Amino acid sequence: MTDDRNSHHPTLAEPLQLTPEELERYDRQLGPGVLSEAGQLRLKQATALVTRVGGMGGPAAQMLAMAGVGTVIIAHGGEMISPDLNRQVLGSEQVLGKPRAPEFAAYLRTMNRLIEVEAVDHEPDDEEARRLARRCDIVLSCPPTFTERLRLNRAAVEAGIPLIDAAQWGMTGTLIVVKPGETACLQCVYPVEPPFEELFPVVGAISCATGALAALEAVKILSGTGDPLFGQLLTYDGFVGRPSVVKLRRNPSCPVCAHC
Amino acid sequence: MRIRVTYLGRSYQQAASLPEDFELPSEATVKDALAAVNSALDEHPLPESCLVTIAGEHLGSITSYTDRPLQEGDELMLIAPVAGG
Ligand SMILES: [Zn+2]
Repeated sequence: MTDDRNSHHPTLAEPLQLTPEELERYDRQLGPGVLSEAGQLRLKQATALVTRVGGMGGPAAQMLAMAGVGTVIIAHGGEMISPDLNRQVLGSEQVLGKPRAPEFAAYLRTMNRLIEVEAVDHEPDDEEARRLARRCDIVLSCPPTFTERLRLNRAAVEAGIPLIDAAQWGMTGTLIVVKPGETACLQCVYPVEPPFEELFPVVGAISCATGALAALEAVKILSGTGDPLFGQLLTYDGFVGRPSVVKLRRNPSCPVCAHC
Repeated sequence: MRIRVTYLGRSYQQAASLPEDFELPSEATVKDALAAVNSALDEHPLPESCLVTIAGEHLGSITSYTDRPLQEGDELMLIAPVAGG
């Protein structure tokens, strides 16, 4: 099910420019060292897919929505449970027992009425991931399994759009930023799918920080601002308080990106 | 030669006992360093999907990486893939 209730986007007949209301809303992120008005307009015209929207994807989607990304599509199945509430910032005590995606989308709409938020109430399969990626300008990959991450990677590479993979374990966060055809993709980095750990430990602060950094990379890429971390792996070892950046190697025979 | 070894990512606590620095023969390569790390880890060898990086360069994963000579002061960073959500 796709939920697409609010519609504040200009129609094709309307001029593509920022309204006075948008200029006021985004005033603190416009100017030297941040976004230009042209960059903000690019954000307004952009569509981002975030899946899933738990500990990392939630804050990522929130930051994209508040930054003014024109359409934010969130995907997440199931109902909110108590252990989610140590990190899933789009939920609350009131959302416990309720389906995540529509509730989280409703919350995002309360944060910015100038954008559209669409909710997908399940994790997309191969075909749906492909279809969604074709509608989008960027994919933020934040699910708990490598199966889903590698699926989103295939969809993004096929659509020729950037993918940001945000991941966490315990107090560690990692970010991989993929530019199809130019940098290593997720399949280059993980040629064999790593094992899945269902009940991974996590402290909310690291998932939130990692999700926020993923959103920052997305805002930079979509608006054309700064230097994105393309082709790099950013890690933050929160247990000892140490950031690192690694340049990722592309696999010339990668089954996903070798021919793009 | 002395190199620094850092382990992060999934189950990082299993590597808490690893020494920060490893003393290796002057001709040692990444392969020798990995053998020394695995020997020190004993009960919990490096996972096959663990990324191998040296001096900020990604060489591959434990099962498939490009070996290369080490230099004094290199940092071997081993990153066990994480997913989370
Ligand atoms: Zn690839």
